[in-house]
Amino acid sequence: MSMSTVSLMEKIKNIIRGHSLWMLHYCTGCGAMELPPTMTARFDMERLGFAPMATPRQADILLVTGYLSVKTLRRLIYTYEQMQDPKWVVGFGSCTINGGIYYDSYATIKRLDLYLPVDLYIAGCMPRPEAVINGFKKLMDMIKSGEANGWKKYKENLEWYRANQRKILGDSLYVTR
Amino acid sequence: MKEQELIDLIEKHVKYEEGSIEVYAPRKLKFILKKDDLVDTLLFLKRNGFVQLSFITCVDWIKDNKFELVYGLVSWEHKLTVLVKTFIDRDNPKMISIMDIWPTAKYYEQEINEFFGVYFEGNPNMSKELILENWDSMPPLRKDFDPQSYSNEKFEIRIYDYKMEDKKKK
Amino acid sequence: MVNMIILAVVFVIGAFIFQVTLSGFSRKVVARIQKRRGPTVFQNFYDIGKLLFKESSISHGFIFDFGIWMALGSTIATLLFMPVGGWALMPKYANIIVIIYLLAVGSLGMAMSAVGSGNPLASIGVSRALTQMFAYELPFVVIAVLIIYLAKSSNILKIIEYQTQNGWNLFSMPIGALVAYISLMGMLGKKPFDTPIAPAEIASGPLVEYSGKYLGFLMIQHEFATFIEVGLFVHLFMGSTSIIGFLIKYIIVYISAVMISSVMARLKIDEVVKFYWRWPLGLAILQAIITLGVRF
Repeated sequence: MSMSTVSLMEKIKNIIRGHSLWMLHYCTGCGAMELPPTMTARFDMERLGFAPMATPRQADILLVTGYLSVKTLRRLIYTYEQMQDPKWVVGFGSCTINGGIYYDSYATIKRLDLYLPVDLYIAGCMPRPEAVINGFKKLMDMIKSGEANGWKKYKENLEWYRANQRKILGDSLYVTR
Repeated sequence: MKEQELIDLIEKHVKYEEGSIEVYAPRKLKFILKKDDLVDTLLFLKRNGFVQLSFITCVDWIKDNKFELVYGLVSWEHKLTVLVKTFIDRDNPKMISIMDIWPTAKYYEQEINEFFGVYFEGNPNMSKELILENWDSMPPLRKDFDPQSYSNEKFEIRIYDYKMEDKKKK
Repeated sequence: MVNMIILAVVFVIGAFIFQVTLSGFSRKVVARIQKRRGPTVFQNFYDIGKLLFKESSISHGFIFDFGIWMALGSTIATLLFMPVGGWALMPKYANIIVIIYLLAVGSLGMAMSAVGSGNPLASIGVSRALTQMFAYELPFVVIAVLIIYLAKSSNILKIIEYQTQNGWNLFSMPIGALVAYISLMGMLGKKPFDTPIAPAEIASGPLVEYSGKYLGFLMIQHEFATFIEVGLFVHLFMGSTSIIGFLIKYIIVYISAVMISSVMARLKIDEVVKFYWRWPLGLAILQAIITLGVRF
């Protein structure tokens, strides 16, 4: 979506959204270890308007911190679908990009963007808090310019994402356990 | 009862398969049993102070074609740890469940069943999934399982197109 | 009549802007205490705006929606009875009893709505919130009745007048002021009394199922409720007739509550009830005995 086609109201909405991003406090892997320094006094995530939230209903960002086992992926998909639009997914660490050091594991997925629409990847193993802050800043800019629209892609290509999810999780994706 | 007295008591009552009781570290004992003697021995140990089942684990000795089951017990009264080991056949791995002695064994046994394929008779959870969901291959912690090929087959890898990047730069 | 409606709208919007800016400033204060930089002062406007601009927000049925309107509506209605300095929209009805009653309706609406969502964590949060309401209201009401007795009126404007003649209640009954201040911390849900919305243990309690617009409305409701509660404390204990004076005292009371809360840890709900019914209630009765003893 280019800037010219976006209406003025949409621009204002995007600027406001870009200033207040609530992150779901859900930690899948070891990457969560880098979040306490990011949140607390040293790097202070809150000054950019980021805040951790306890439930998916209130959150805007799904931060996937590190490796994702198949078992966690199912919960992550449920969580993502409980979040309200607009919502963004940030892949954190090389595990979400290409498997990282878990490239030969029998239980972890290697590419997150096959199953959920990732807006931004933060590369590294581990990404330092500086990299996390930089990634968040980039995400804010993307939201303000209207580039970050993974949630729209997920709606449009739902069948494709579902097919990929089914391939890993089987037909029991919507069976409660 | 002191440590040495307990060791003597165990030596008197327990039939070892091979060797004898071994003190491999201070306050840590281990010995190997026949498969059939295991339940009796565990019951005997529980009556003599080893009240806690700390873990059950399994080791795959693929060259000997055997699985080694290790039961870790703790006695708080005597401040002793004991490892009770037994070897079972790898081709048709079956074992009697010790759920009746320690109910917590249910989940240890379920996990071993999932990761090594050992069937525990008498455990109701044998057909349920604990950790691996929708598992469709051989138990993954057996030594003849190849995680790399399974992973490549099941999970798509990201293919980096270096040539395209080079063209873009030019 | 039209004049009054315009005044009411201006008053509500003014109170909203003032309180939201102040709570943004309080986040900055907390950040400074924790040696952080903190967000901008307008962060809460961004937060509320973002929530209202959400594309989708899930509803959990009629009770869920209705409870939110009940909470927001009754809180705004309470705000209209609230005097500011010596000025009130409806001087005849600026009554403590009206305000305490109507404020409870807001809490009940929120409780109804949260239970309507069907989430067990919300039910736990609501039961904690209502228990806490029982705990802090008893000492607060004892002190409020004492002030009503002294001023010979439950009208807040009369109480302010009484204080301009006899000096602030803060100085004439310091123990009572302390009790009311502790109750105020409980009303605001500040630590150590933030048991109902404990994000780390029950996932923000009653708010667990709210998203988008619903959460935005509840945040607005919370800002108005804060304005009423802190304003009530200022009127009861530091009453004066000037609006600017009121706002300055308001800022002092609110920011000090935020500062105390930022260095406290959370109590369990049974500890909250035991605490309120042991110390503040005991002190309130002591204050009543002292005040009445001096008078007779």
